[in-house]
Amino acid sequence: MTFLVGPITSVFDVLLAPFGHGWPWFDLVLWPLVGAVIALVVYKYVSNQKAIAAAKDRIALHLYEVRLFPEDLRIVLGSTLKILWRNAVYVGHNLLPMAVMLAPMMLLITQLVSHYAFAPTPVGEPVVLQVALDSGRPASSVQLEVPNGVTLDAPPVRTADGHAYFRLRGDVAGDHTLVVRQGSETQTKVWSVGGEARKVSPLRTDSLEAWLYPGEPALPGDSSFRELRIATAAQPMHWLPDGEGGILLWFFALSLLAGFALAKPMGVTF
Amino acid sequence: MMAWLSAAAFAQPGMFVLGVDGMDPVILQRLIDQGRVPNLAKMAREGAFQPLGTANPPQSPVAWSTFVTGVDPGGHGIFDFIHRDPATYHPIASATPAPEGEATVFRLFGYVLPISVPEAGNNRGGTPFWDLLHKAGVPVEVYRIPGNFPVPESEAKVLSGMGTPDLRGGYGTYTLFTDQPVPSTSKGDIIRVQVADYDLDGIPDTVDTALKGAPDVLHLEPGQVPRDDDYLTARVSFSVDPEHETVAVRTGDGVTVLREGEWSPWMTVSYDAAPFGLMPIEGIVRFYAKELRPGFQIYASPVNISPAAPAMPLTSPTDWATDLLDEIGPYYTQGMPEDTNALRDGTFTDDEYLKQVGLVQEDTRRVLDRALDGFKPGSFGFLYVSDIDLQCHMMWRHGDPKTPDAPPHPAMDPATAAAHAGNIDHFYEDVDELVGTVRAGLPADTRIIVMSDHGFQPFHTKFHLNAWLRDAGLLVLKDGATTGSLTDVDWSRTKAYGVGFNGLYLNIRGREGQGIVDPAAAGALEAEIRAGLEGVLAPETGARVVRRVVSRAQAYHGARVAEAPDLVVGYDAGFGNSDESTLGMVTRAVFEPNREKWSGNHLMDPEVVPGVLLVDRPIEGSGHDLTDLTATLLEHFGVAKPAEYVGQPITIR
Repeated sequence: MTFLVGPITSVFDVLLAPFGHGWPWFDLVLWPLVGAVIALVVYKYVSNQKAIAAAKDRIALHLYEVRLFPEDLRIVLGSTLKILWRNAVYVGHNLLPMAVMLAPMMLLITQLVSHYAFAPTPVGEPVVLQVALDSGRPASSVQLEVPNGVTLDAPPVRTADGHAYFRLRGDVAGDHTLVVRQGSETQTKVWSVGGEARKVSPLRTDSLEAWLYPGEPALPGDSSFRELRIATAAQPMHWLPDGEGGILLWFFALSLLAGFALAKPMGVTF
Repeated sequence: MMAWLSAAAFAQPGMFVLGVDGMDPVILQRLIDQGRVPNLAKMAREGAFQPLGTANPPQSPVAWSTFVTGVDPGGHGIFDFIHRDPATYHPIASATPAPEGEATVFRLFGYVLPISVPEAGNNRGGTPFWDLLHKAGVPVEVYRIPGNFPVPESEAKVLSGMGTPDLRGGYGTYTLFTDQPVPSTSKGDIIRVQVADYDLDGIPDTVDTALKGAPDVLHLEPGQVPRDDDYLTARVSFSVDPEHETVAVRTGDGVTVLREGEWSPWMTVSYDAAPFGLMPIEGIVRFYAKELRPGFQIYASPVNISPAAPAMPLTSPTDWATDLLDEIGPYYTQGMPEDTNALRDGTFTDDEYLKQVGLVQEDTRRVLDRALDGFKPGSFGFLYVSDIDLQCHMMWRHGDPKTPDAPPHPAMDPATAAAHAGNIDHFYEDVDELVGTVRAGLPADTRIIVMSDHGFQPFHTKFHLNAWLRDAGLLVLKDGATTGSLTDVDWSRTKAYGVGFNGLYLNIRGREGQGIVDPAAAGALEAEIRAGLEGVLAPETGARVVRRVVSRAQAYHGARVAEAPDLVVGYDAGFGNSDESTLGMVTRAVFEPNREKWSGNHLMDPEVVPGVLLVDRPIEGSGHDLTDLTATLLEHFGVAKPAEYVGQPITIR
């Protein structure tokens, strides 16, 4: 399934790029709002709206009982148990819509993360390209070809456990394509150096992690490379936590606010 | 109110103080005369350059505490690097006394969970000048001030300097991963490793090992001193390339590639004090690939407290440490980051040590740039610079920068001396560059002061004070022994003992745990000891060893005089108390040539090691001391001097 990462990313590159470049907050406001609308639509048509409304009414009713008869221990205890049960029912009614919403929301979030959570490596700052091969393969023959504007800063280290490490220095800003070879196989890894905030890909892999880092297409399933990784600094997010944490927090906070604001106009009960 | 106060502060020029530990007026004058320090020379020419009176004893924690609080040690209570517990006679760190009160803990599955633990506060008394300035509305930023750990609560921005521990809680324990034999006397943590050949290609290339970090606090009783295996560890692995002289260093998620002879950037190491990552403790460390083949030696710096998630507060306000990280990247948080222990042990050669010092200097320049960027008109800034002090301690043996025709130091090695004889001068030149940066980076009306806490002298002869006391019949060991530690002392027959670099205590009845000296007889005993010590002559040269011995009543004023040593021993130039005697040991000999790399010193009589006062404008009078400087800062900003401040403001024209 990781082969889908590339095409989906291409779609988002078109959706995000016209607005995102130079004005990231536009995307970071627009897409949580879009996410909220999608979530509400999914919720409205996938969930059992009547059952959810009934569960909420029941919870309110039992809370009312507790407030009316606070000195009657039997009623308080019974109502509390009923509240717990109705809460469980309410949560149960939410499971299906949440499961349906999970995929599109994750797609949206990971694409925002990929575009806005990571900072390009400053020009002149060394980083290490980590190449991991499938287990059992020796890394002794892994080769790296660097483009103009990138310097191999030290001789590589190739380890017995299938890893190769290349210390690189970016001399010129840009999205540089690094080429790695192992036997007859050739793969590439994009390294973003200097310049403005933009889509940055810290990891290219053939594992499920590719869905979390969709900045580049996943490695093919039959590749002898397991992952190509470059440690990347988190993008400062002003008053929010830096990087991924900030994007997640922002997305959830804004989409929740929008969800609450739009629920009634859209006729959604949750 | 604060806005009004701030506006009042901005109405006058700001002030920036560069605190250069150990800058000596004689060496500086020579370099000015030689035209090697143009920025300092300009200050001296256009403003003022004078010796600055230091504290007694002229030890850095004592002197800087004096500068910070405007009172002498009798007021702030820091009398030495090392104090003693009068009940047990044991040496204790002066900055952090043992916390008072009982800890309450809860034990569960082998864990010792603290319910309430008394906190160790900072032993320094008095009121730091930055609190007074901040209260008056003056924006204050103080970088790396010594003696401020544990960090007292303050609203002023203060980054703690000398005295700030590494993550282990000491003043800096390095680690050497090596497959070579190393002497057991090493001050570092020596980890013998085996370079493994996992892929059986005949080339050993992999080391999987662990780096010690914070004490395993949830398995230690409150107050328990950690043993070697009581520290948390983080996994570290090294992979040497089979063809090239390079190594990949991996710590957690971090990885770097080093050539032989290269230093890594800061790398994060994380320690789990509790299961499931519930209590992570983060540190930062730099590696040095000393040798990869045929021997394997990788040095790891002391693990510094991470400013990203400080295990202990490094600054006031607490989150300023993280703000600084965001602005300048990772920085040394350990108080004395130059690894003098590695040089003393022989783990570093002189060249390797100087390379490491270069990293610290780079760090200092970044901090200075931040200090200058953050300097607002009308504000106060301070930056501490450690290089001259530590390099005078370590490099004096290569050639005396103060008396070039002095006889060779006992630790001088002809093989390396010529290459390093000028090192100390170069560090003065580096400070001169910093001064140039300061002058160029501040508003033109800012008052700039360059000062040092003390000067320097050679340290060619160790004096074992406790051995002298033994020979004088004032200190007696049990069972007729002639050597031993304080635990071997027969207190029922001992009248005096030495603990600390300059401290000498009488075994006063009612004050010391097993005191025998009648308080009424203390004066006569002090006079006897003073006369004896001031009459001591070096056996080979006949030179005077002790220049002056003063009683605490003569030396100090203030509320904490009673905590001071009874006598403060002021050694003459070239002499100093031995490390052994400082910790209470009694050695066989009284004198010993100092063959250690720690070859320059200042733990002497204050008059032989005055500091430096440079002001960018002329000043009135002379003979100023550290407390005068503190009073000057306050007066400059129109802040009333507290009654306990003993200095007089210097008039800057």
